[in-house]
Amino acid sequence: MTKLKKILKIYKPFTKAGLQSAMAYRTNFTFFVIGESLYCFVLYFIWKAVFASGGSNTFMGFSITDITVYVFLSNIVKFLIDTDSTVSMAEEIKDGSIIMRMIKPVNIDHSLLTFELGNKIMMIFCIFLPVMLGLEIYRYVILGKIAFNIFSFLLFSLSVVLGYLLSFYLNLIFGYLAFFLLNIWGFSILKGAILNFLSGATIPLAFFPGAVRAVLEQLPFASLVYAPTMIYMGKLSTNQILFTLLKQIIWLIVFVLISDFIWIKAQKRLEVQGG
Amino acid sequence: MIKVENVKKDFKKVVKDQGVKGSIKSLFNRKYEIVHAVDDISFNVDKGEILGFIGANGAGKSTTIKMLTGILTPTEGNVEINGKIPTKNRKEYVKEIGVVFGQRTQLWWDLPLVETFSVLKEIYNVDDDAFKKRMCFLNEVLELDAFIKSPVRTLSLGQRMRADLAASMIHSPKVLFLDEPTIGLDVAVKNNIRQAITQINEQEDTTIILTTHDLNDIETLCQRIVMIDKGKLIYDGTLANMKGQFGNFREVNMSLENSDEIDKLNFLDTFKLKKKDISINKTKEKVSISFNQDKLSIADMLEYLLKNTNIKDISVNDVNIEEIVCRMYGKEVSVND
Amino acid sequence: MRFFRIYKIFVAQKIKMLMEYRVDFLTGATSFLITQLTNLVFIGIIFGQIPHLNGFLFQEIIFIYGFSLMSKGLDHLLTDNFWKLAYFVVRKGDFDKYLTRPIDPLVHVIIENIEFDALGEFVTGIVLFIISSRKLKLHFGPLDILLLIIAVIFGAMIFTAIKILGASIAFWIQRSGSILQIFYGTSDFARYPTTIYNAFVKNLITYVIPFAFTSYYPAVYFLRGENPLFNIGGVVVAAVILLLISICVWNRGLSAYESAGS
Repeated sequence: MTKLKKILKIYKPFTKAGLQSAMAYRTNFTFFVIGESLYCFVLYFIWKAVFASGGSNTFMGFSITDITVYVFLSNIVKFLIDTDSTVSMAEEIKDGSIIMRMIKPVNIDHSLLTFELGNKIMMIFCIFLPVMLGLEIYRYVILGKIAFNIFSFLLFSLSVVLGYLLSFYLNLIFGYLAFFLLNIWGFSILKGAILNFLSGATIPLAFFPGAVRAVLEQLPFASLVYAPTMIYMGKLSTNQILFTLLKQIIWLIVFVLISDFIWIKAQKRLEVQGG
Repeated sequence: MIKVENVKKDFKKVVKDQGVKGSIKSLFNRKYEIVHAVDDISFNVDKGEILGFIGANGAGKSTTIKMLTGILTPTEGNVEINGKIPTKNRKEYVKEIGVVFGQRTQLWWDLPLVETFSVLKEIYNVDDDAFKKRMCFLNEVLELDAFIKSPVRTLSLGQRMRADLAASMIHSPKVLFLDEPTIGLDVAVKNNIRQAITQINEQEDTTIILTTHDLNDIETLCQRIVMIDKGKLIYDGTLANMKGQFGNFREVNMSLENSDEIDKLNFLDTFKLKKKDISINKTKEKVSISFNQDKLSIADMLEYLLKNTNIKDISVNDVNIEEIVCRMYGKEVSVND
Repeated sequence: MRFFRIYKIFVAQKIKMLMEYRVDFLTGATSFLITQLTNLVFIGIIFGQIPHLNGFLFQEIIFIYGFSLMSKGLDHLLTDNFWKLAYFVVRKGDFDKYLTRPIDPLVHVIIENIEFDALGEFVTGIVLFIISSRKLKLHFGPLDILLLIIAVIFGAMIFTAIKILGASIAFWIQRSGSILQIFYGTSDFARYPTTIYNAFVKNLITYVIPFAFTSYYPAVYFLRGENPLFNIGGVVVAAVILLLISICVWNRGLSAYESAGS
């Protein structure tokens, strides 16, 4: 317990600094979120047209209400689990300023994580909660009853945290890879496109043809967006939820191990490069 | 050649309180304040003159240079160079000037240097013959040959500065603005650059305006200096005059057997000095004393020190510009950056 | 012609760089290609369930989509420098350089860079356009080809104008990358028939940020042959008006530029 307290004390300044920098760049941040959310509306209108053209009330077990909630919620989850500290880390490794992190008596991934936590706190209060409220009101108006389930919400929160940690370490690995390329920007666009697609942020994985779907659901990307969103929407049975969370944990352990391994390799390379 | 009349430049700055609370507060209520970066400055420069433009960081040097080069429009006042107003007819005006900002480059990072010059040739519309001659001249003065085929990103800082100087002169400008052209360079390269600047000034009668923090730049290059502080012009004249006007200071740096020895000495009474004529800075390893040469000669000072302390090492230096600026405002002199 | 000579130097260098950093170019181009492919799979999955989307067949949607990529890709290829301006050139004070040169800063910014990554979009667009027109058995006469070229070029100009506008804002607020992102992001709406949107979105992408003229309107002319005056003429009118506005804002921005960074 005292050890935990001590850790909290060491990393509290990072979280605070993260929160402050999120505040400082809030205008930029707000615009970024608006820009990224526009596509949700494109998707929403497409689905509306699809339901109108298809003449059926459900589509792969999703009603129009379901799909609307899915489109917006998955996009928010995408923001929550997104992490950019790793890209900046790749750049830091490249220009050597990573040394400034290495000389401090803190763990590098932990300092990045706690810094970003500040950012996420701001995001939860400024974006996630308002949008969630909006979606619940929308569901209430359409369905005529409160669809919110506190139990699902708690499991969802747990799943988002796991998804975020998974995304963090996955991105860390991407960051290390980008280190070997000059075109970090092109690489991160590529990464974004692949992640968006495989994580279910563009289209629910349930809509893919049977065999493809089965594969995609087992991949780590599904744990990022698809899993938490489906839990929130109550689309999974208790067994499925437990299985999903277990998958997230296993993938998380795998990625932590891989990133540790690469970090050790990268450190060696850093010594060679540093003059 | 260059006329600057009552020029002012104001900027609007957002005022922020500190901390998370401050950030939240400024979310709802943004406060602005007007900063007078340049406040009513006037001076003239003649053709062929090299003018040193000095002042502490943030004094308004760069802002003034940027107004002279047409990058910024003055809030008030007039700038006229060669009969042209920089911000009006900017395209015509910039053909007559060359600009080097020491802290950033105007070269294309990924292009080989020689390609940068061919791009600039087209941009400034220099014809083939003139370009050939020009490159010969610049090559001679700045010795570009060794690295002209290399991409700019692979050049050393000194090479890059020489290349930047050449790039700013490809179109034979009448006026050259050099903003800290020797920043970050080592002594040999600095001398090299200074020689080149002198040569260009002498051979082509180019008017040069130079900002710098390095007193040696000023001493080797400038006939005249203009000094500004907090946006106001506080001196316009020769360097020698300025030293006289604001006290001709020298600095003795030494290491003693024991730094505390210096405390036993009494300069004020021994030499009948006033407090502002001398300041002593003591650390464990080093003692530095700056003093007014007009009140106390270097010989007397050295004699007194040698007699009364056990000196391991000693040197006498010029006081740098920052220190003179500080002194002019009666502030305590701190160790320079 | 001196612009052409300058441009030639930059393009030649860029090509040399491509050869040297092939992997980076491939990453860039592939990333745009993959982004487009994922969207196509999305469309494919949808059409697995429905016969048509608001009266448009699968191949017709692909045709519109391909069209949108052609004008977007063309602009992306030629004027990518505005992103740099919006994100950091102005903020770092590096814009000074353009102001001390005797050519128009706007022209200077454009000719300084060519972005071959955009080929990932442009070529995908052309391929989709050709494949879908074959499948739809569309016939293009000489006049149609002329109109097509006009529509694509002026469509690209709409993108350029929007980018100039977005980048200009940086002159006032230092960093306008994410605002430009919002403007630019609205072009996603234009990849699908405007008939699927509500009146607000439809008016927005027709009259305010007229991206619908970069794809849907001209594409639907080639599909249905209706209303050339609006569908093709609109592209030209929208591009010219928007470009005039954006140049105006750009010029005002230049005088507001504060050249940050001491």
